[in-house]
Amino acid sequence: MILKEFRELRRDRRTVGLLVGMPLLLLVIFGYAANFYVSSVKAAVVGPQAEQVASALPSFFDVTVVEPAQGQADAESLLQANTVDVALVTGQQPVLALVDGSNLFAAQSTVSVLNKAGDQVTTQILYNPDLSTSWVMIPAIIGLILTFIGTIVTSIGLVKERETGTLEQLAVMPIRPSTVILGKITPYFLLASLDMVIITVLGMLLFDVPFNGNPFAFALGAALFLLVVLGLGVFISTISQTTGQAIQTAFFFLLPQILLSGMIFPLDAMAAGVRWIGYLLPLTYFTMISQGIMLRGATVAELWLPFTVLAVMAVVVLTGATLRFRRDLAPGRRRRHGHAHEASSAPVSDEAGASR
Amino acid sequence: MTAPPALLRAASVSRAFGGFTAVDSVSMDLRPGEVVGLLGANGAGKTTLLRLLLGLLAPTSGAVELLGGAPDRERRRRLGYVPQGLGLYRDLTVRENLAFAASSYGAAPAPLEGELAESADALVRDIPLGLQRRLAFVSALAHGPSVVVLDEPTSGVDAVARAELWDTIRAQAASGVGVLVTTHYMQEAEQCDRLLLMSEGRLVGEGDEQAIVAGTTAVAVRTDDWARAFDVLDSAGELVMLSGRAIRVADGDPDGLRTILSAAGLDATVERVPATIEERMAVLARGGGAA
Repeated sequence: MILKEFRELRRDRRTVGLLVGMPLLLLVIFGYAANFYVSSVKAAVVGPQAEQVASALPSFFDVTVVEPAQGQADAESLLQANTVDVALVTGQQPVLALVDGSNLFAAQSTVSVLNKAGDQVTTQILYNPDLSTSWVMIPAIIGLILTFIGTIVTSIGLVKERETGTLEQLAVMPIRPSTVILGKITPYFLLASLDMVIITVLGMLLFDVPFNGNPFAFALGAALFLLVVLGLGVFISTISQTTGQAIQTAFFFLLPQILLSGMIFPLDAMAAGVRWIGYLLPLTYFTMISQGIMLRGATVAELWLPFTVLAVMAVVVLTGATLRFRRDLAPGRRRRHGHAHEASSAPVSDEAGASR
Repeated sequence: MTAPPALLRAASVSRAFGGFTAVDSVSMDLRPGEVVGLLGANGAGKTTLLRLLLGLLAPTSGAVELLGGAPDRERRRRLGYVPQGLGLYRDLTVRENLAFAASSYGAAPAPLEGELAESADALVRDIPLGLQRRLAFVSALAHGPSVVVLDEPTSGVDAVARAELWDTIRAQAASGVGVLVTTHYMQEAEQCDRLLLMSEGRLVGEGDEQAIVAGTTAVAVRTDDWARAFDVLDSAGELVMLSGRAIRVADGDPDGLRTILSAAGLDATVERVPATIEERMAVLARGGGAA
């Protein structure tokens, strides 16, 4: 029995991946990423004494903007656009430090450092004055729920067609593959959208999370993100033969999103080698959008980077995944064989065919 | 009189998966009003040939025609298909399954009759397998196809349900529909107008039952101690089958069998008899007697 189990395990690459890959991933994540303390924040210094104050700041502040001609309104704009984590407004005594509370851990570290300056600095926390964890988590959790529906639920729904043999029936029916794919993913898109609205409203009602931005901009970001995760779900279904395999594979996609997207551990506090993984994950960009719009009231223009990245990801992932799924559904491309006949290509399952 | 054009045709079609040839140079056709049985043991290449004919697989060489052309989406509008797994949605009701299939073909849902009408609002997962098969048939025929392809159509159903399904198949053929059936049930093979026998990816026999078994014989062995005789012959590497209490040895040599039985101290009568299709298939599966 034990020998049989080992033999089976050896041939089940997904389980081996889970047994070997997952501990390594967790080790890397918790070793290099699990750090709540941000050691450096991006800072702007504005006002008449901007240059003097900037040069006197400790190394904790990575001063990226020094503008003696600008004032408090400009500083707030920089914070709203997420260009910096803290802005120091000079020209008054004490110096006013505006801290972006939507970047929770950076804000906590910043406040801790600023407190050491005593009465030389007045600290004002914007967007999340009480540094409430739920205010930061709810926008990220909306993304996590969309990820769950998009990857796990969608891939299960698609794999079920393969498991029950209805995918083969669909392939024989005179329905366009694009119609089948659209018909399969549209309900998940709509259900996930409904979930998103419910969670957002509940988050606002139960946890007093503000919604300071434009709901349409938020909906656009959510739609782009949903297209990416639906694409991942479709992709997972094309590399899974059973529901169990789909869940296992989706887990590989889900866990890094939870741990490395900045949702739990701040990206700024991660080792550079791990942080780049976070920047490859769609949830990272959705969290930037949802926190930006809900808490800071940021505009699409201010969030152009995450919007652009998600749009590119949506096109690449969804197109690639649907093309793969299309291969399972239909012959599409035709090749000429023999003298005058053409025959359709692409199997419902080459592996099944190979068994005769 | 000129034969009607083939509804389904394979011309020297082959399909390889890597170095493994699942279908090897098979030529066949299906004409209107004909019920053709595709026979073969598991792994003979039936399913791969079926997928080639349906356009779900591209041939490595050769050509496939459905209704006079490539098996594309337009031609598949006139095709009815019942896969081995039935292709039904288990979480939809009988009525919902029919409605979906009909709308996919742009047809009106077929009227429900008998037990199917009684179970119209039952989930497919809750109705018996026999009824599920009947539903799969009704779904596949609702749009009035010219060609019907059935993969193991009566697998797992009782004798009465099987007879009823064959009534449906024969009725379709009588109305001019061409029916291709894959099966490994001999009783179903007898219902077909013409048989195609596959072994190791090749077509090794074609025609009626007599034509298929031509050249293959079997030996009937009768003895009171049939259980021990079975073991003895099986251990000797013979292709032994049991029909009730009677032992049959496919492609056996009567003298050789007598010697084996007598060495084991068994008293038996040994007689050469015509082989059945099943015995012919067993011989082919063992790798002998290719036509």
